[in-house]
Amino acid sequence: MATAVGPRALLAAIAAGAAAVLALWWHSTLSLSGLGGWLTGAGEILGLLAGYAVVVLVLLMARIRPIERGIGADRLARWHAMGGRYVIGLVSGHALTIVWGYAVTAHASPVSETATLLTNYPDVLMATVAWFLLLGVALVSARAVRRKMSYETWYYLHFYTYLAIALAFSHQFADGAAFTSSLVARFWWSVLYLLVATLVIWYRVWVPARDFARHQLRVAGVRQEGPRTVSIYISGRRLRELAAEPGQFFRWRFLTRDLWWQSHPYSLSAVPSDELMRITVQDVGEHSAALASLRPGTRVIAEGPFGAFIPDRTNRSVLLLAGGVGITPLRAMFAALSGTVTLIYRASTWQDVVFQAELDAIAEARGATVHYVVGSRQDLGGDPLSPTVLRRLAPGLHRMDVYLCGPPGMTGTAVAALTEAGVPRRRIHFESFEF
Amino acid sequence: MRRAILAVTATVAGLVALLSFKTHSSERTVAAAQPAASLPPGERAITGNVADTAYGPVQVQVVVKATKIVKVNILEQPTSTQNDLQIGQFAFPRLIAETLSAQSARIDTVSGATYTSGGYVKSLQSALDNGA
Repeated sequence: MATAVGPRALLAAIAAGAAAVLALWWHSTLSLSGLGGWLTGAGEILGLLAGYAVVVLVLLMARIRPIERGIGADRLARWHAMGGRYVIGLVSGHALTIVWGYAVTAHASPVSETATLLTNYPDVLMATVAWFLLLGVALVSARAVRRKMSYETWYYLHFYTYLAIALAFSHQFADGAAFTSSLVARFWWSVLYLLVATLVIWYRVWVPARDFARHQLRVAGVRQEGPRTVSIYISGRRLRELAAEPGQFFRWRFLTRDLWWQSHPYSLSAVPSDELMRITVQDVGEHSAALASLRPGTRVIAEGPFGAFIPDRTNRSVLLLAGGVGITPLRAMFAALSGTVTLIYRASTWQDVVFQAELDAIAEARGATVHYVVGSRQDLGGDPLSPTVLRRLAPGLHRMDVYLCGPPGMTGTAVAALTEAGVPRRRIHFESFEF
Repeated sequence: MRRAILAVTATVAGLVALLSFKTHSSERTVAAAQPAASLPPGERAITGNVADTAYGPVQVQVVVKATKIVKVNILEQPTSTQNDLQIGQFAFPRLIAETLSAQSARIDTVSGATYTSGGYVKSLQSALDNGA
């Protein structure tokens, strides 16, 4: 069983780190004098917090397996996005209060003080470039701009964050009062940065490379599941060592001339064996369309497994609730779970229903139940997943663990309906794929 | 949006709390350091400009009798850390002694106090320029 770090443990660790950073400032500051002292003090605190928070942000995205498993890639991405906005605020606040504070102390104008800082203070110019890089990354991540941009462009622009962190590093030691006076502070700060850098290299470069060599993944075949849906079979060696569980996903990189530079998250749609894995993809973008023409033998880099969407096997009574292509991870879970398992599969047309034969076969072999809820709202006469309908399709619903996967809109309404039907929020599990 | 307002408010409140719990020294009154009136006849005090350094501002005042530098006062020096004070205690007497013997701002920097020395020389030079 793989280890997992839960949300509470991680948040506690992050908060403890922030407290240590504040303690560092407290310890290194003797006294404040006047307005200049206030502003400079605020600038130092903001700067220290920014220097800390920026590596926390990188850590959240470092694809550290125990964290991914305990918290889920979707939640980590949301935290990262929220934290990113906060860090931009910290960095900007730091720059402005430092300039203002120094200007007040030196009886200079903020403009001339800015010039002094840029030209006379060691490495401040580099740090300023880093600030603008971060602002640029924030700009392309803003919702309005992000929508006009391809996922890959946005993704690769994000790598400028690493450059920004590198550029901003030296000014902390050269100018930061907390560091110039203390070798111990410089030592631990360096340890923090090196640790995060090591984790990034370990989990984003070394582990995928090692798995690539070890498991020798190749496309084994492609099967059309429906008019817009294909399954891709991937063969490999010793796949059990990956310890992938139903409900989890990998980030797949298919090494063809057109696709090698993109990596996309797709869930396993069947319980993996030691030699074979399967993913199922609905044709929603250029990438998923290109997958239909993959040739057998194509080499594959699979980074993973990721995801906290893993069945808790202590509850013997489970409802799986799928919407559209959200069936893929639930299809794998459906085959893996024992006990009383009910699957409700919501689709807008019968053409969109995939795996029907497989699902029926699993249901028969296991004594499990499948309900297909197919058609538009009008055809079905009202809300197809109302609390009443859910209770009727899954008797004893309030005692069940519910695993939910579907488009964002459906997830929202289904969570509300399930709660109304008496399922406690902690027993409703879902993972959103919006990134 | 509500979360953003909350985050900003909490950060500002935390900053103000942390800063206000820190001890506050009274603001240094630069002009009062060496009142010109108490100088013996024939001597005059010339205040240099504030020179910024990586660790804080440095400002000196030279006391001149005719064209001879007889004294240098440190009006302002970096005080943000204990180390800044120590560096000042160590460096300024040496810098002042050098100034008095060189009778100009062309003096060597004190090793281990490069920035402080730089600020001292800059402020001293501006005082001498002002007085010339």
